[in-house]
Amino acid sequence: MLMITLKKEWLESKREGRTMWLGAIVLLLLAGALFSSWHGYQQLQSQKQQVSQSERERWLNQGAKGPHAAAHYGVYIIKPDPPLAVLDPGLSDYQGSVLRLEAHKKNDTLFRPIQDAIPMQRFGNLNPAFIIQVLLPLLIVLFGFHSIAAERESGTLKQLLANGVSAKKLFMAKVASLTGLGLLFLLPVALYLLVSLLLTDSLDPGRSVLFAVSYGLYILLWSLLTIIVSSYAWTTRNALIALLVIWCAVCLLIPKFTIEDAVHRYPTESAQVFQSKLESEVYTPQRQQAIARFKQETLAEYGVDDVADLPFAWSGAQLQFGEQYSDKVFDRLFGQRQSQLEAQSQHYQVGALFSPFIALQTLSMAAAGTDLLHHQLFNQAGEKHRRLMQKTLNNDLKDNGADNAHGYQGDHHLWQKIPAFHYQYPHITSLMANYAWAALSLLQWLVTLAVATYLAMRRIEKEGQQ
Amino acid sequence: MNENNQKKVIQVTNLSKHFAQYQAVRDISFTVKQGEILALLGPNGAGKTTTINCLLGFLKPDGGEVSIGGINPVTDVVKARQQLAYIPEQVALYPKLSGLENLVYMSKIAGVNKSPQQFQQLLEKVNLPGHAIHKAIAGYSKGMRQKVGIAIALAKNAKALVLDEPTSGLDPSASHEFSQLIQSLAQGGVAILMATHDLYRAQEDAHSVAIMNQGQLVHKLTGNNIQDVQLESLYLEHVRVASTC
Repeated sequence: MLMITLKKEWLESKREGRTMWLGAIVLLLLAGALFSSWHGYQQLQSQKQQVSQSERERWLNQGAKGPHAAAHYGVYIIKPDPPLAVLDPGLSDYQGSVLRLEAHKKNDTLFRPIQDAIPMQRFGNLNPAFIIQVLLPLLIVLFGFHSIAAERESGTLKQLLANGVSAKKLFMAKVASLTGLGLLFLLPVALYLLVSLLLTDSLDPGRSVLFAVSYGLYILLWSLLTIIVSSYAWTTRNALIALLVIWCAVCLLIPKFTIEDAVHRYPTESAQVFQSKLESEVYTPQRQQAIARFKQETLAEYGVDDVADLPFAWSGAQLQFGEQYSDKVFDRLFGQRQSQLEAQSQHYQVGALFSPFIALQTLSMAAAGTDLLHHQLFNQAGEKHRRLMQKTLNNDLKDNGADNAHGYQGDHHLWQKIPAFHYQYPHITSLMANYAWAALSLLQWLVTLAVATYLAMRRIEKEGQQ
Repeated sequence: MNENNQKKVIQVTNLSKHFAQYQAVRDISFTVKQGEILALLGPNGAGKTTTINCLLGFLKPDGGEVSIGGINPVTDVVKARQQLAYIPEQVALYPKLSGLENLVYMSKIAGVNKSPQQFQQLLEKVNLPGHAIHKAIAGYSKGMRQKVGIAIALAKNAKALVLDEPTSGLDPSASHEFSQLIQSLAQGGVAILMATHDLYRAQEDAHSVAIMNQGQLVHKLTGNNIQDVQLESLYLEHVRVASTC
């Protein structure tokens, strides 16, 4: 029944022409977006690899200099792009991928692609995820709105039912053929997933599974929704209008409203305000008092009156104390900002109850590793590395600079003690608790539509009954 | 075939159906046996289509019962419908598909499996012009659509054929061709119930005639009686009598 329905729908669409052209355009757009995204990714990865290597060489070959001067000299670490970022770049353009690690400062990531985008790019930045999440549902609607409604209008529905065709089987065949058509558009994506899995060892299979399952369910949801609405509509015109309204609400209005609401409920400071707050809270009289107390405690501990009499270089110990003091302020202020951003993100996820688009967008970015949480995890890893770097340099100064505190210089051996930064994306399974709401919402949509499907089938079954 | 040995395929027993205050069908009973053509006559609103819709399982009777091949559509609508083929006044087909594609789809979706050649032979059997077989239905005349409808019924090997105003709007030649087709189906053992306004066709084709008016079965003729009476006079008499009551 499925194959014969598929064939019939295919023949009708082919002869109808418009939908076929529309499908071809979307498929072309998807292929184009996939190729351009993959091409950009390859270029960026190669650039990032080169920059990472030259940056490491720059660090190792910086020559002899004081450890603290080297700490200020700093290093740049690069966030690697996960392979699935080709399919869903998520927030990558807004987050930046380069982090400068230096003494006394916890920086934000630099070089956000959106800063370099010319205004026109904002309208033309199509990526595979956008096409599948927003345009493909529209295509499913255009392919399927008439599915049952047109049969009712033309009388073929009564003819089919009178012929002994089961309403349930007819409904499921329509859903299956529409879902099959939708899944056809996922083929280029599935191919990319497969090739990435086979050729890239950095791709977590769990991420591919989450990605594929989420998109598969999303297409099934839209197919079900389209056929259900078509079953209830008395005319094809009504079915199309209702489905376009739903598409607009689900893919455009609800996400926009939810994000505005999230920002309103959990506001964050502007970057400028946050930066000035950081500086004013790090360099305070309390900090000077804490350093003075630490000095007195250290002198007492070693039973000396002057830092020059300590068995180590006081400057190294003081710098490390200062770092640790600043770290607490960083943890507090960045932590507060992170909490607000997480609250925004969680609030946005709640919108998934009303929009499967939000559920898919959340899960897609999660699988691709291009969402806020993954960015924060990278920042945390970067900060951990910065602290390790500062501690290593300060301790070296403390241990070796006692005799000649101002003249001590570190060399290649010291720079090598700071390991190269390699960031590994965590397994998605360890993060799934953060996306539980989105995943459950997608399932809730499935259950709701399953109930609606049952009712729609009964409606068709009772077609014409009074 | 001995009439008494013929199986009753379509059975309508004390059927009643009303819509709100309107009694569409009142306590009617009739049967259509294997190979029999029963013409159901009556003016608009007589209850013919309501009776057919009860047989097709689109309407649930308020009283009495109907069955097709012994299966009551109220209890198992899909199975009951599998026993019959239905040809409405306007056979609903997919305009962008050809006659052959319509036949193949309508048959296969109902669980009928035949080879492409067999489907084509069916269309040839109902005298669909060869050039039209692969042409889109949108360009078909009503008569050609009716032929595709008959081919669907043939493909199904249905025990019963239910026709609702099948010759309405057909030119005399197409009407004659249609009549020959249903007669050959009846000869093959199909029980045919034909609701019609076409008294001439009824007299020519039917083995039995039932006249309905205001939901009631007001007169029934069988066998040679049909040929012997002035059907038009009888029909008008019953319709007039009922309307003046």
